[in-house]
Amino acid sequence: MSVREERPIPAPPVNPETRPFWDAAAAGRLLLKRCAACTQPHHYPRVICPFCGSDRTEWTEATGRGTVYSYSVFRRAPIPYAIAYVTLAEGVTMMTNIVDCDVDAIRIGQPVRVVFKPTEGGPPVPMFTPA
Amino acid sequence: MKTLRDRYGIVGVGETEYSRGSNRTTRAMAVEAVRKAILDAGLTAADVDGMMSYQNGDSTPANWVAPDLGIRLNFYMDVVGGGSSTEALIGLAMGAIEAGMCSTVAIFRSMNGYSEFRIGGTGVRAAQPVRGLDLAQVPFGMRSAGQNFALTFMRHMYEYGTTSEQVAHVKVAHSKHASQNPKALLKERVTVEDVVGSRWIVKPLHLLDCCLETDNATCLIVTSAERARDCRPRPVYVMGVAGRVNKPRTDFHWAHGPITRVAGHYARDIVFGQAGIGPEDVDVTGSYDAFTFTTMLQLEEYGFCPKGEGGAYVSSGTIELGGKRPNNTAGGHLCEGYTHGMSMVIENVRQLRGTVDDYCPGAADGVHTYDYGPGRCRQVRDAEIAMNLGWAMPPTGSALILRR
Repeated sequence: MSVREERPIPAPPVNPETRPFWDAAAAGRLLLKRCAACTQPHHYPRVICPFCGSDRTEWTEATGRGTVYSYSVFRRAPIPYAIAYVTLAEGVTMMTNIVDCDVDAIRIGQPVRVVFKPTEGGPPVPMFTPA
Repeated sequence: MKTLRDRYGIVGVGETEYSRGSNRTTRAMAVEAVRKAILDAGLTAADVDGMMSYQNGDSTPANWVAPDLGIRLNFYMDVVGGGSSTEALIGLAMGAIEAGMCSTVAIFRSMNGYSEFRIGGTGVRAAQPVRGLDLAQVPFGMRSAGQNFALTFMRHMYEYGTTSEQVAHVKVAHSKHASQNPKALLKERVTVEDVVGSRWIVKPLHLLDCCLETDNATCLIVTSAERARDCRPRPVYVMGVAGRVNKPRTDFHWAHGPITRVAGHYARDIVFGQAGIGPEDVDVTGSYDAFTFTTMLQLEEYGFCPKGEGGAYVSSGTIELGGKRPNNTAGGHLCEGYTHGMSMVIENVRQLRGTVDDYCPGAADGVHTYDYGPGRCRQVRDAEIAMNLGWAMPPTGSALILRR
């Protein structure tokens, strides 16, 4: 079954800690946080590095390329959709949706690339589509 | 390792009807469950001076329930929590008694899980504002437990070749057990074909892979071994307890993999270390069955089979009554009803007493036929050690080992 309809996406609330992420998303760029002390990248963005506790975290732009680590298709919804964990080329795994494809053809390990999808009155959110 | 092995016991258990429409308040149901547990123990209200509960803003706190029973409390605590709370609270009750804060603790869970407060993205909760962890989840449509766990299950199938048919055997086994349980919501036995032929909810979960939303209250009573020996039933002792044990980085555990590893990986050394036994010594298990997969994942993580071989383990007959190590002999959350875990501990207490409330005429006196046909017996012969594997989420769980 091919699913092309668009699911209404609730707007993510924006706060000072995450505003740069959403501003970049509006410009079509995917940002990560990277720690200047331990060099580890992370997502969801935080002020304090969740690995070493340093407050020297900096924004860095991701390539937007990754692979599907795992996924699921939610059928108990008016428009079925695929939730996934995508591991980015930078090594960070993030929760997202796989969109603009046949959800029954999604596979673990599949290469994907980021696309930004509009939300209901908020900034666009990063989702992924087969590369 | 520090251990309080055999120094505390569970002396009373009680529950209300498992229904889908109690037409009662959680307060009234809690009072009934606590009262039944006190009577089961052969105690009076004056003997209970501690009370604990767990809830998610969906229940009545302990200090409202106690006065309805004429109980004056020296200690009470209501915690936020669902699955995996029961085992952890038993450990906390032991700690409160050990600290001299009180002497006997009633632990209850009361919820109208079907008629009032449904878990997940259905009903009124779907309209709740986005907040907290939802910031990262809600735009992606991640709202329910089944969705949250499904990606762990999918990855397990990918890494280990686990099949839907193998895991369906958990539902088959629990439905067999429920057919011997007069209290169970679903008493009809099902087949593997029934499970994998039921409609999709969220891949890889079919409808029959999911537990039952239920209205119910449950209670158990913890006290010292000395007092336990003066209570009416045969004492059941706590050998070990762990909870609520986390994986690293609980909220974003998927970012730090492997997601097929669940909290039992970290809890097993604590609980088996205290008890001084291993999985091979356990006669009955109560592995939390929010979904068929959760039962399997925990059994393999606690070492009842090698990691990755859970599919083979649960489909081998081992976990069925009549098998080597039956799991959730009352039918569990898949078939008896959903109680956030306490019913599975209650069942194991009854197994160790030898007085499981099945259809055997002499059940209350410990006389059983051990005929596991439908509508007959569900007592395990000579069960000496039972273990509960409590589940909240892939990265959070608890465990409890009991002996008679």
